[in-house]
Amino acid sequence: MELLTPQPAGAHGRRWTARASSVAGIEAELARIWSSVADEMGSSGHSRRELAEARGSPQLTGRLDESRDVRVRTRTSVLTLVVVAPRPETTERALDAINLLASRHPSRAIVVAPGDPDGPSTLDAQIFAQCHLAERGTSETCTEQILLRTGGEIDAHLRNVVAPLLIHDLPVVIWWPDDPPIGSRQFSDLVELCDRLLVDSGAFRDDGTRRLSALAAVVSGPTPIVYDIGWMRLTLWRELLAGLFEHPLLTPELEQVQGLRIDVARPGELFRLTKAACFTGWLADRLDWELVRTAERRRGSESLFATYRQGRHDVRVELRPVSTDGDRALRSAGSLVRVELTLGRRGHDLRARVARQADHLLATADWDGAQVARRAGRLEPFGEAPFLAEALHSGGKDRIFEGALARATRLLGG
Amino acid sequence: MTSPTRATRARAGATTAAGTRGTGQPKLRQAAPERRIENPLKEGLRLERVPDPCVIVVFGATGDLAHRKILPALYNLRRAGLLPPETSLLAYARRPYTNESYRAEMREAVSRYSRVPLEEALWDDFAAGIHYQQGDFSDPAAYRALAERIDEVDQGRGCQGNKLFYLATPPSSYTEIIENLGRAGLQREGRGGNWARIVVEKPFGHDLDSAGRLNLEVTSVFSESQVYRIDHYLGKETVRNLMVFRFGNGIFEPIWNRRYVDHVQITVAEDLGVEERGSFYEEAGAARDILQNHMLQLLSLVAMEPPIAFEADALRDEKVRVLRAVDPDWDEERVRHDVVRAQYGPGWVGGAAVPGYRDEAEVARDSTTETFVALKLEVQNWRWADVPFYLRTGKRLPKRATEIAVQFKRPPLMLFRESVSEPEPNLLALRIQPDEGILLRFAAKVPELGLDVRSVNMDFTYGTSFTTDAPEAYETLLLDAMLGDASLFTRADEVEAAWGIVTPILVGWAEADAEEAGSDLARYEAGSWGPESADRLIERDGRRWRRL
Repeated sequence: MELLTPQPAGAHGRRWTARASSVAGIEAELARIWSSVADEMGSSGHSRRELAEARGSPQLTGRLDESRDVRVRTRTSVLTLVVVAPRPETTERALDAINLLASRHPSRAIVVAPGDPDGPSTLDAQIFAQCHLAERGTSETCTEQILLRTGGEIDAHLRNVVAPLLIHDLPVVIWWPDDPPIGSRQFSDLVELCDRLLVDSGAFRDDGTRRLSALAAVVSGPTPIVYDIGWMRLTLWRELLAGLFEHPLLTPELEQVQGLRIDVARPGELFRLTKAACFTGWLADRLDWELVRTAERRRGSESLFATYRQGRHDVRVELRPVSTDGDRALRSAGSLVRVELTLGRRGHDLRARVARQADHLLATADWDGAQVARRAGRLEPFGEAPFLAEALHSGGKDRIFEGALARATRLLGG
Repeated sequence: MTSPTRATRARAGATTAAGTRGTGQPKLRQAAPERRIENPLKEGLRLERVPDPCVIVVFGATGDLAHRKILPALYNLRRAGLLPPETSLLAYARRPYTNESYRAEMREAVSRYSRVPLEEALWDDFAAGIHYQQGDFSDPAAYRALAERIDEVDQGRGCQGNKLFYLATPPSSYTEIIENLGRAGLQREGRGGNWARIVVEKPFGHDLDSAGRLNLEVTSVFSESQVYRIDHYLGKETVRNLMVFRFGNGIFEPIWNRRYVDHVQITVAEDLGVEERGSFYEEAGAARDILQNHMLQLLSLVAMEPPIAFEADALRDEKVRVLRAVDPDWDEERVRHDVVRAQYGPGWVGGAAVPGYRDEAEVARDSTTETFVALKLEVQNWRWADVPFYLRTGKRLPKRATEIAVQFKRPPLMLFRESVSEPEPNLLALRIQPDEGILLRFAAKVPELGLDVRSVNMDFTYGTSFTTDAPEAYETLLLDAMLGDASLFTRADEVEAAWGIVTPILVGWAEADAEEAGSDLARYEAGSWGPESADRLIERDGRRWRRL
């Protein structure tokens, strides 16, 4: 069951595909692909022309070594990316994101699509290799993708399928879209393999509380480093709110927060709390608020209310669901719609808010009704690729996220 | 970067907040409180790298540098969210422009020279902060008007009294601009923490004396901590990486000394000629244009001791120490012996016939200006004594390449006698441009029955591991100047120490010219790697230039 064909992949590269049905078969196919790539660069007339061109090019002559060898195709990997995507539409989405990033973050990408665990034991691998010409045209980077469809008993042993396919000694990033079964054996088994884990708390099931506190347990361990798309989507909100307090006269007011209200999108029945809780957790962590009362529903209201203590006064928090029917940008349950901080206790009233306006966020601060600061920022498009890029790109732990998440789970009673 | 602990932040907050007790309606543009409190929310956000808002006053704002570099860099910083929206530009020059006509011209310039395409909405927002002020550099009254205009822009846009002056004029105007800024009191910094800084472009003087005089003039108005001397080479990503390579890795530092290093070669090669800058180049020459600044900067970064902190003065202290350790007895005799100057004649570069230097526009037919310098220096300290540093730079060489090559000593004994070829000694090459990367050469066995040893290269190319766009040098440097980080700028003593090395060379050449013009000026064919005398300079020590 194999097929090895180079084919054009757009203007800037070439692409090879193959198929295998065992781990050993995948390894053999990859080896075959790379040796055929090398052959093509070997002694054929085509490659001689390329070599001659390469030797004539000033950028490449510096790379000729003593033996007059020139390496034009470099198989490059800076990491292994493993995506666990049980649903076909997630698999598609993941492959799209990976393709978008392939030339910027060269990696071996393994997309695992576990199927029916009660069916017959199967393993079907599609292997793609592709070479992209770098923008400045000096070298080509070649990357690999393996799409693994499994079924039956193998589903319970994914770790043993993936482990032999990891590239030695390079970081392993696992992206687990949708609603990962955090805490389950399958999850822990796989996550043990990785250095970085990317999830999206904004897609956690139900109100997200249970998964969020399971995630906090993962985050508090030494590895892996966890990236959360839900949290990353809050960056612009945090940046704009923080930006309002950059003015030296407004900074001290942060000592005097009275209340916080967050409006959360609830397009259907589902009141997902993860983002609002993380945002509140962030403020609580940064401003040293102590939790007095966890978030609870009050009679006659749909909102959740909580109380913190800052120094000697209380901070009242309300997480309020708002209906967003008809707003296409807000079809995702749990997105923030508006954040408002009430501050000031010395006879003046200061309100700082960030609100969503189509594809923009607008932040304003009003002092006794007069606007004193204003900032705006554009929301990123909805796709996941930029967040995946960030997880592939950055290295260290995000202490701010850890602090915010720990506080968020406590707020929700976890 | 360390940030205050939460406890100290809270304390600072309490005291300052009490000191600025509110008085109803605030005037947010009034003087800032005496001590700034850190905004606890900005940690971990991009805001940490966002400087205070300021008015950037560009002198010579209609010139080439403003068009090609300064405006595109500011626009890109704004696009990256690294400039606060209040930050404004006040362009100052002699030509008659209005705000509108200047903005229109800059729009053209940015869309032409920016590394990313111009976005309409963003440009409109950015352009609203651009203002033009017509004035003469020598007229004190014009500076009083300028001061008023700065205040007006500052008040109107909320720049909190911060000013960044940028001298993008020919160096001949530096003195009068600085004097006049001083007369108008524009160098003063407020007690509320608002700052005034000045960015000065190279060339900074044309020899030791003139650099010393200029330093004196600048520092009679501004204090040294307000002065940012730009050498854009230091803003280049790969040059900054040199420090990370040396001090962020544990395995290179132990062998980075005379015990293991045989010699170091630094090459800055250009394939271009003088282009349209003939009259400028006639005055400058390769020694002033490249050697005094770029090459000696590279030398000091390669040879410096680890600084005690990655902080402006600690870094520059170490760099100055290297320059001071360069050949204390650098006399006429040594200049004649260890420095080669040369000029290109006609030849072929990259498949095109090119004229010789003396046939270029605005160049004298009997010019003795050097377009090539090669020299051997020694850094006389415990780390480097007896390790020669060979430097070469030139125009119309076969290709554009900047590289630092550290060649290590041979193994003490060659064991593989059957090997037909003796492998080259180990070499570590740091390529700065183009094709940034790091190359390590070592010996390997040729796969066959016998035991033949050959040199192979392990080649790391930046482009394949990091494909994110590196910022332009001017973006890095402008942002640093606004943040008050002078690490990548040269300090007065550094400039003078570099001139201290180059000036004796210039004097030696002038004396040679006085005897017989151009008597020691070698000639090389355009498209070659320089004159034979440059090869002899290194070959007489039993070494050779690296083939690039």
